[in-house]
Amino acid sequence: MLSQDERERYDRQILIKGFGEEGQAKLKKAKVFIAGAGGLGSVTATYLAAAGVGVIRLVDHDNVELSNLNRQVLHWDEDMGKKKADSAAEKLKRLNPGLKVEAVKEKISQANISQLVAGFDLIVDAMDNLPTRYLMNKVAIEMKIPFFHGAVHGFEGRAMTIIPGETACLGCVYRGAIAEGKFPVLGVTPGVIGCIQVTEVIKYIVGIGQLLTNRLLVYDGLNMKFSEFKVKRDPNCEYCGHSRGKESR
Amino acid sequence: MSVKINLASSLHHLTNDQAVVEVNGNTIGQCLEQLIARFPRTRKRLLEKNGALNRIINIYINGESVSPEGLATAVKDGDEFHIEVIISGG
Ligand SMILES: [Zn+2]
Repeated sequence: MLSQDERERYDRQILIKGFGEEGQAKLKKAKVFIAGAGGLGSVTATYLAAAGVGVIRLVDHDNVELSNLNRQVLHWDEDMGKKKADSAAEKLKRLNPGLKVEAVKEKISQANISQLVAGFDLIVDAMDNLPTRYLMNKVAIEMKIPFFHGAVHGFEGRAMTIIPGETACLGCVYRGAIAEGKFPVLGVTPGVIGCIQVTEVIKYIVGIGQLLTNRLLVYDGLNMKFSEFKVKRDPNCEYCGHSRGKESR
Repeated sequence: MSVKINLASSLHHLTNDQAVVEVNGNTIGQCLEQLIARFPRTRKRLLEKNGALNRIINIYINGESVSPEGLATAVKDGDEFHIEVIISGG
């Protein structure tokens, strides 16, 4: 049930066809895991907080640096040196006091990932490297937690929604890894891709629309083009190939 | 078979800023070899040293993904390729 205050706060989205108070109540119950409080994390956390999800667990072990501020819009000049998870959590609570936000200042690893995501309804990929993405993809499939992929570089972005056991996963699309570290990026690129991820998350929770599954969305801001590629589940995928075998038995 | 190869923006500097290159070949692999013959600097990005498709490259034919083992796949006249490079920033 929604309070009078909540009815008013979310009035404009409750008005959307297929959304209603029922959709809002689903958002209120949702527990969202966001991996990373950087460019994508700032945008996804902000819009999910504003939209009224119940719980956000935001995981990031980094501190805010000056060179983050062109894109990581939850961190401000005054936050330099603070833990990103804390800086973000503080803003999110001010944006929406109804939100329960948990700031986790840990590095996501093989050792802690299952424990970190346990009990959460979905995982938002706001990471800055492929090895951790593959790790999250693996755990998402094992624990059957939907995984909302996003990545950015320069003016370019990618997004795809993964429903474990049903749709192509990250391993069906990507195989390699690229050197980690400093990458070029315009602030608005994670803005665009993060908003696409949040659109997907909200649709998934509310249960409306068509998800970005078995399709990789490719955004090219420099030429202002959105392309879409069909992606098939790879029967030999090292992450989801096995679960497919189990289903067909 | 005449096919059109659309290159990701991040590869254009290797093809004299050409976004689309037309090649002739019977398989995906042959088409890539032609592209590389015309723009030799693309080889290092597209292929591993052993000739396999570079792990950071994704190929799509007519909008559908092609498996990395699919270089021998036959192509038809008018097919359209997209060559994309994976990205990992956040
Ligand atoms: Zn897979």
